[in-house]
Amino acid sequence: MLQVDRVTKQFGKLKALDELTLAVPEGQIFGLLGPNGAGKSTLIRIITGLLPPTSGTITLLGSKDPTDMEIRRQVGYMPQDAALYPGLTIAENVRFFGRIYGVPETVISQRMEEDLELVELTHRKDSVVETLSGGMVRRTMLLTALIHRPRFLILDEPTVGVDPELRLKFWDWLAQLVQRGSSILITTHHISEAVRCAKVVFLREGKRLEEGPPRELMARYGSQDLEEAFVKATSRKGGTP
Amino acid sequence: MIARWVALRIIQEMRRDRRTVAFFVLVPIAIMTLIYYAMLGDETARLGVVTRGLARMYDATLIRSLEETEDLVIVPLDIPDDLTDPAAIEQAIHKALGEGQAEGVLYMDEQLIVDRFAGRRGNLHVYVQGERPTLNAIILGGIAESMDDLANDMGVVIDASCSAFCANSVNIKPMELKKHYVYGSEDYRSVDYFLPVIPPFIIFFLTFIISAITFQRERVRGTLDRLMVAPMGFSQVVLGYIGGFFFFSVLQTVIVVGYVLALLSFPVSWGQIGAILFMALLMMLVALMMGLLASFLAHNEFQAVQFIPLVILPQVFLSDMIWDIRSFPAVLRGISWVLPMTHANQAMRGMILRDMRLWEAWPQILILTGFFLVTLFILMYAGRLHARRRS
Ligand SMILES: Nc1ncnc2c1ncn2[C@@H]1O[C@H](COP(=O)(O)OP(=O)(O)O)[C@@H](O)[C@H]1O
Ligand SMILES: [Mg+2]
Repeated sequence: MLQVDRVTKQFGKLKALDELTLAVPEGQIFGLLGPNGAGKSTLIRIITGLLPPTSGTITLLGSKDPTDMEIRRQVGYMPQDAALYPGLTIAENVRFFGRIYGVPETVISQRMEEDLELVELTHRKDSVVETLSGGMVRRTMLLTALIHRPRFLILDEPTVGVDPELRLKFWDWLAQLVQRGSSILITTHHISEAVRCAKVVFLREGKRLEEGPPRELMARYGSQDLEEAFVKATSRKGGTP
Repeated sequence: MIARWVALRIIQEMRRDRRTVAFFVLVPIAIMTLIYYAMLGDETARLGVVTRGLARMYDATLIRSLEETEDLVIVPLDIPDDLTDPAAIEQAIHKALGEGQAEGVLYMDEQLIVDRFAGRRGNLHVYVQGERPTLNAIILGGIAESMDDLANDMGVVIDASCSAFCANSVNIKPMELKKHYVYGSEDYRSVDYFLPVIPPFIIFFLTFIISAITFQRERVRGTLDRLMVAPMGFSQVVLGYIGGFFFFSVLQTVIVVGYVLALLSFPVSWGQIGAILFMALLMMLVALMMGLLASFLAHNEFQAVQFIPLVILPQVFLSDMIWDIRSFPAVLRGISWVLPMTHANQAMRGMILRDMRLWEAWPQILILTGFFLVTLFILMYAGRLHARRRS
């Protein structure tokens, strides 16, 4: 799906990513975990082509060219910050993103109904985004990233600012998407919730600390909780505590 | 053509944003009204007339003649009639001007009549308050025009030594001035010279402001990134923006041009209205592209806003809009040539004041089209650089 090969990103003196290598396999949820400032968003922006890496290569769906329209069509991207048109309704936003991905009108209508149902927003579909709560905005963001049914879905901290109950639902929805055949790359700094990933990478200060299935990592560090495992990995693998 | 969806989205959003729509329609009308009255420049100068001795006989003629001058009103002064000492009168005149009773005083004394009857030219005294050159000019111009009437009226006593020929020549009336207007007429007001350049200015100003913040809005909302990763070229975004603004900007352009034509003191033929609209729309497109480019190149809203004076002010000063560009040094005249408004102004003045046909404005049309294409090209290039970043 995605191959990140020795990617380094330098912002002036700051090394946001340091020779990072990882591979995201098809058909599962892959978690990129790390505290704020670990470099998660930087990596995502490099993957989507929004930011050039200082060195290293990205191979996304077999292509190294970020301008390849065929590849772009198969990728869905949900940025960390709300990125919607606040003056438009939920339905209008979703339709707009469907349209710029070239989805036919009738298909958009049909999928929108399904998706609104899935994230329980059907009753609010004609509400202007400006008037929505934070959780509803996050759900709308997810819908706009899904409407073209991407093979590969990139979600940058989709659960930030979302209440715990809705956060659990979010992971349920992601599981359903994987069942439908999508592959997902998700980042989060709520490390515990990532137990639902098939595989995770611990990222800290641009470096990879660990990589593997959550259960394995928890067992390796003798922890009941993924977050505890992360903390132990941090202290054991160096890096400033 | 994904651009149409980008355009539709802009229209959808704009339609809900009543204030912005009002901005498009009402602001140009308000600004133009202000500019109109500012440029109408209905400045009037007040003139007092003081006569003493025999000169009083000519009061009526003089005042009638002076009152024919536009922008000049004759006002009574607070100077007692029985004041006859020349020094005291002069003092009183100074006082009247100092107090603001008038901006000028015309003083005719006994000596003038004495001189005339002795065959000398004689002196008229004009006192002007002097602070405002435009008012001085109105007063002096008005008096100069009345001098002939006065001279005719006064007659001359012919010296006994004068021959028949001499007497004749003294009585020769001054030459009459026949005025010929190649363009316009005596009724043209100076505001009619400025009105044609108002549409390029207003349209450029308002279109540029709106478009200069668009990409910043997308950036701040985070939607620019989403447009950049969508499977469409950057050209679709640019075309979408042009299309989305087109409807509102055309509406605005029509309003601006219509209002200016209504303010003119003379009618413009239908054929010319078509040409004028064409020029105004071309200017609108140039402003839209320049705004979008500024918006894309700016790193934040603050920078985008800084582009507004940077782009607008030089055009106000150097486009021959209000100040004659010939009075500027060569360097600034050179800069003037690379400003789109200079060319739009030329064409607009030609079309409205000199009945210039659309095809006669081909150099200006060519240059403005060039501006449009060059900014479009730079914007596309900048956008493509932006999108090529992973390699
Ligand atoms: N455009 C930028 N210019 C300079 N530094 C940046 C920029 N973007 C991110 N950084 C820095 O890179 C580091 C990683 O940031 P980021 O990728 O946003 O972290 P995360 O998403 O994991 O919270 C941070 O220290 C951040 O300050
Ligand atoms: Mg982040």
